[in-house]
Amino acid sequence: MESSWLRALVVLALVVVAGAIFTRKLLLVYRLIRLGAGPVPLAPPGERLRDLVAQVLGHRKVLRRPLAGVLHLFIFWGFLVLLTTIIQAMGEAFSPGWTLPVIGQPPLLAALQDLFIALVLIGVGMALWMRLVSRPRRLEGQDRRGAYLILGFIGGIMITLLLSRAGQIVLESPAWAPGAALSGFVAGAIAGAPRAVVRGVFEVAWWGHLLIILIFLTWIPEGKHLHLITLVPNILLKKARPRGALAPIDIEQAEHLGISSIEHSTWKDMLDAFACMECGRCVEVCPANATGKELDPRRLHTDLRTHLTRVGSARLAGGEAADAPALVGGVFSEAFLWQCLTCGACVEECPAANDHIDKIVGMRRHLVMEEARVPDTMGDALRSLEARGHPFRGAGLSRTAWTAGVEVKTLADGGRAEWLLWVGCASALNERNHGSLRALVRVLQRAGVEAAILGDEEACTGDPARRMGNEYLFQQLAQQNIETLNRYGVRKILTACPHCYNTFKNEYPQFGGQYEVWHHTQLLARLVEERRLAPSEAVPLTVTFHDPCYLGRHNGEYDAPRRVLAAIPGVRTVEMAQCRERGFCCGAGGGLYWVEDRVGQRINHVRTDHATATGAQVVATACPFCMLMLEDGVAAREAKIRPMDVAELLGRSLAGGSAERSGG
Amino acid sequence: MDIIVCLKQVVDPELPARDFAIDPATRRQVREGRPLVLSTYDENALEVALQMKDHQGAKVTALTIAPQATVGDTVRLALAMGADEAVVIDDPRSPELSGPARARMLAAVIRKIGRYDLVLTGCESADLVERLIAPLLAEELGAACVTFVARIDAADGPLVVRRQADEGYHVVEARLPAVLSVTSDEANRPRLPKVKDIVTAKRKPVQIWTPGDLGSMADDGGVEVRDVAIPQRTGKCEFLTGDPAQQAEALALRLRELKLL
Repeated sequence: MESSWLRALVVLALVVVAGAIFTRKLLLVYRLIRLGAGPVPLAPPGERLRDLVAQVLGHRKVLRRPLAGVLHLFIFWGFLVLLTTIIQAMGEAFSPGWTLPVIGQPPLLAALQDLFIALVLIGVGMALWMRLVSRPRRLEGQDRRGAYLILGFIGGIMITLLLSRAGQIVLESPAWAPGAALSGFVAGAIAGAPRAVVRGVFEVAWWGHLLIILIFLTWIPEGKHLHLITLVPNILLKKARPRGALAPIDIEQAEHLGISSIEHSTWKDMLDAFACMECGRCVEVCPANATGKELDPRRLHTDLRTHLTRVGSARLAGGEAADAPALVGGVFSEAFLWQCLTCGACVEECPAANDHIDKIVGMRRHLVMEEARVPDTMGDALRSLEARGHPFRGAGLSRTAWTAGVEVKTLADGGRAEWLLWVGCASALNERNHGSLRALVRVLQRAGVEAAILGDEEACTGDPARRMGNEYLFQQLAQQNIETLNRYGVRKILTACPHCYNTFKNEYPQFGGQYEVWHHTQLLARLVEERRLAPSEAVPLTVTFHDPCYLGRHNGEYDAPRRVLAAIPGVRTVEMAQCRERGFCCGAGGGLYWVEDRVGQRINHVRTDHATATGAQVVATACPFCMLMLEDGVAAREAKIRPMDVAELLGRSLAGGSAERSGG
Repeated sequence: MDIIVCLKQVVDPELPARDFAIDPATRRQVREGRPLVLSTYDENALEVALQMKDHQGAKVTALTIAPQATVGDTVRLALAMGADEAVVIDDPRSPELSGPARARMLAAVIRKIGRYDLVLTGCESADLVERLIAPLLAEELGAACVTFVARIDAADGPLVVRRQADEGYHVVEARLPAVLSVTSDEANRPRLPKVKDIVTAKRKPVQIWTPGDLGSMADDGGVEVRDVAIPQRTGKCEFLTGDPAQQAEALALRLRELKLL
């Protein structure tokens, strides 16, 4: 290949200029992120590395969407493999005929490079297909111009690379040529042209290739393609907190309660905003968005990024962005913030490992604790929590009303047992769930498991308060409960409520409450597998299982309830399209049980439709909130399907009348 | 403007029926071990006072008669919501006071406080529902009185209030000082306290007086509760005999007899 000092100088100048622009823009991003608060405790390094391998190299979450996943895998691995061609081109600019040491000459690398040129081109084609033809809903609302620009850049880089390689094969017959099948094919097509034309094609392609790469480089820090740089640190800087746990605030010491301005966010929140690639997977799985509400989990990150860039840049320059809207109430409306169920579907789906819930609850904390602005009915629930220790206004039931007909010991009456059965307000104070509780107690008694309750000494774990943003009230309730539990020396807690389960397991340790916590389906599965329970009576029903978010996504327990169902003779199980990791919230999470769902379709009605569509006779669940929402949905839709707790179904299959007599 | 809001502490009206009991000695509801809350409409009265404070500035004093040992949460909530100070009459007998006696005692406290333009109270208490306090208090104080006030329309000039009426409302002008009894309205839904206000409420002044500080009360109000009872509800189960057809016929006849069919 012909070269000269001039070529080397021009390349050097272009690289320096592009590199400088890129660095300057990236530095701004870095400084913006540093405006965030810290410290953020990080997960153990091993876990973070494992995530990096699985999510970045393995594309685990990306591949959940087969078309988008495969095309991205092609482009991503193509980027890694073809980095070698960029290094090669740079080397050639300064030293004609230069190749990568060791691997540069043999045809193997060239074969690999050609393979990935082809795969990347196929990937770009698939991406165009998706944007122009198949058009999934999640891509609406994406920065369309940016998306086409990126695909144009990538396609341009591939085509110019291919042409320059073909030209090089014709002009120089390099040692690697036999490996480069695709380039060789193109070379064959242009080989017949006059040598000057081939030289021209080569030069245009070579310079074009370099220019597109450098222009792309300068543009990366501005668009969604920044994830190329931010995603790896975002995964490597994973928070230490378990999925289901929110971060505590030191109420006495804190200068602000919650997030009302960018500097109240942590640097991790900011890094999240810059890691979002606008893929819209979060939008697609969000039950609030799917039912026509304003909440848009992608906007949470893209709008935060825009706001942060605007306000943060002004602040870094020593001023204020005068006409910037307020973060809470402006960038994000109160309705937007109050529509989140904290179901975690978006968090589960996000390939960038972003956390949406932290930000939404952070802003709710500001609204509730600093502004005392909360939807009226949620306010009633909070007042009730404060005055009565439970959020169900007008419940009119005592905490032990459900025990009629079963024998349960109370710790205050000197009852001692291996397990504390933590009943939970949603079960104790809503008659529909009394049958589930009694079924559970009877099943436990059949297996010889001893469990006692706290009765009137139980108070709400504080889960609804915390998710509504009232951290102050949550901490009061947590401390009060931990005191009660420790007074009785409780070590093992069994609960039928996934919200209580999550709070005990993931959140009470923040306040010194360490217990062994089991969800009832986990214990029931264990008892069945240890043959301490022998379900023998056939229960000839088709059952579909609705995953409670705080059991499934927040705690990774998808199998225990299914194992119990599988052990019941006669039960045939069918799955809803949206199950397990993709489970669709019943509509009660995040404190939204206490808000009437008035915008768009009702979430619990839609979920009832999902269950009905399976043709099942029973929709089983393992959460008292899901139960109430499904019962309501079934009544509203006049559906034939019947909601039942897993314990109720198991009870029916135990010989000798463990089951409660009930209609239907 | 100086506003005094009279707040009554009552046993949670949402108490499960099982926990409702009457002490035969005092003929009053048993309070021990039951959650105590602000009487429902008193919270609306407090909200109306706080809105006046927000809009045109006012000093809001929360006033309650209650045994000091149990009064903490109620007074703290009022202060956290925004009352400027609190006066507590520490009277262990207070849960047994009838409306007239209570009104007389409140009047004595208000006279002792001295400065007031408006006295607000809930239109009825959640436990006794006598609806006596506002009128009797106005009588004692020689103040104007408006009952069932939903909201205050104007207070910068003459006091104009909206009074709830059947299927509508009255607009009433009142001279000051005035005693208003407040009903619930979408405009006076009690606010939630901000957390920083809950924290600062602990530093707000609370004056604790005893009935002895008020001088002698003339009498006990002239009314005494003689007897109280919890209504008993009984169920009766009737079995219909015969074959299914006879049972169905008997059932239909019984239902018609009970005018359910």
